[in-house]
Amino acid sequence: MPTDLSDHAEAIPTNVLDGAVEEYPREKLYVWVAIFLAAVTWIEVMTYLKPGWFGNVDTRIATLLFLMAIKFFTVAYVFMHLKFDRKMLTVIFYSGLGLAVVVYVAILTMLNVWYPGHPHP
Amino acid sequence: MAEISMALRDEFSPHAHIDHDTNTGISNTKLGMWVFLASECLLFGGLITTYLLYKTPVAGEGPSPKQVYDLGFTSVSSFLLLMSSLTMVLAVAAIERGDHHRLRTWLAATALLGSTFVAGQVYEFTAFVHEGMGYTTSRSSSAFYTLTGFHGVHVTVGIIMLVSLLILSLRGKLPEHRAETVEVVGLYWHFVDVVWIVIFGVVYLIP
Repeated sequence: MPTDLSDHAEAIPTNVLDGAVEEYPREKLYVWVAIFLAAVTWIEVMTYLKPGWFGNVDTRIATLLFLMAIKFFTVAYVFMHLKFDRKMLTVIFYSGLGLAVVVYVAILTMLNVWYPGHPHP
Repeated sequence: MAEISMALRDEFSPHAHIDHDTNTGISNTKLGMWVFLASECLLFGGLITTYLLYKTPVAGEGPSPKQVYDLGFTSVSSFLLLMSSLTMVLAVAAIERGDHHRLRTWLAATALLGSTFVAGQVYEFTAFVHEGMGYTTSRSSSAFYTLTGFHGVHVTVGIIMLVSLLILSLRGKLPEHRAETVEVVGLYWHFVDVVWIVIFGVVYLIP
């Protein structure tokens, strides 16, 4: 058994480490997040199956966009490890996302897609 | 044995987030994957925008995607893809702590859930074609198939990467110090999931 465990250069025999750690606290967080995401998805589907619960069309669209954003950012924050990793990665990813949102909202606006009676450019 | 276990926990748990010998402290592989995913936002943004522009077919062009959906079916396959993100992150956690048996289990589960999603998409596309909405039926159907098809191709590529990792692990070529390889594939997989979160909302649910 090597005493210097910080030496990452050499491969660690997997039979030494297999099952060595019984519990890993982060796993509980992952399971709770998955349950939360499943619950949010159920609410999303309900907006379609029981539209009366969520008011008029505008309210339903706003609700869906909000729930979609919650799911998106939760997966990115916890499952993609932005919560645990360096902030630079958060900046890189959200810069790309932000650029995409700005560019395509501008295009949709330019093509009058938000206005009634203009379903096509 | 307990002391050895504690020592291993302390020294080897955070493999995926160790500082690397680069200017940023982030490995080039992981940095490259994040930049790639940021650029993918623009790709899928373009496809979603095109769908929004053409989602209503011109009269006489055939059924719109909204008229042929089976939302119950798509909700189940969306749920499976969402849960595959959980199995993927559990696979990353497993290799970080050196549990190779669970790593293989979670990788196989993720690949299986992804395959079920793709199989569901193929079934859905076939049903839509039988109902009269082919790829060239209308601009809305073209935009729909292109958007969801591109996503399906991404899921398929992800499955290939997962199976490759599984084979590497079975051959003993995926030791703990390569945990980041699993994490980087996981990043791609989670991204495919978050893109579907948006597609499912925009294409299937929003009235």
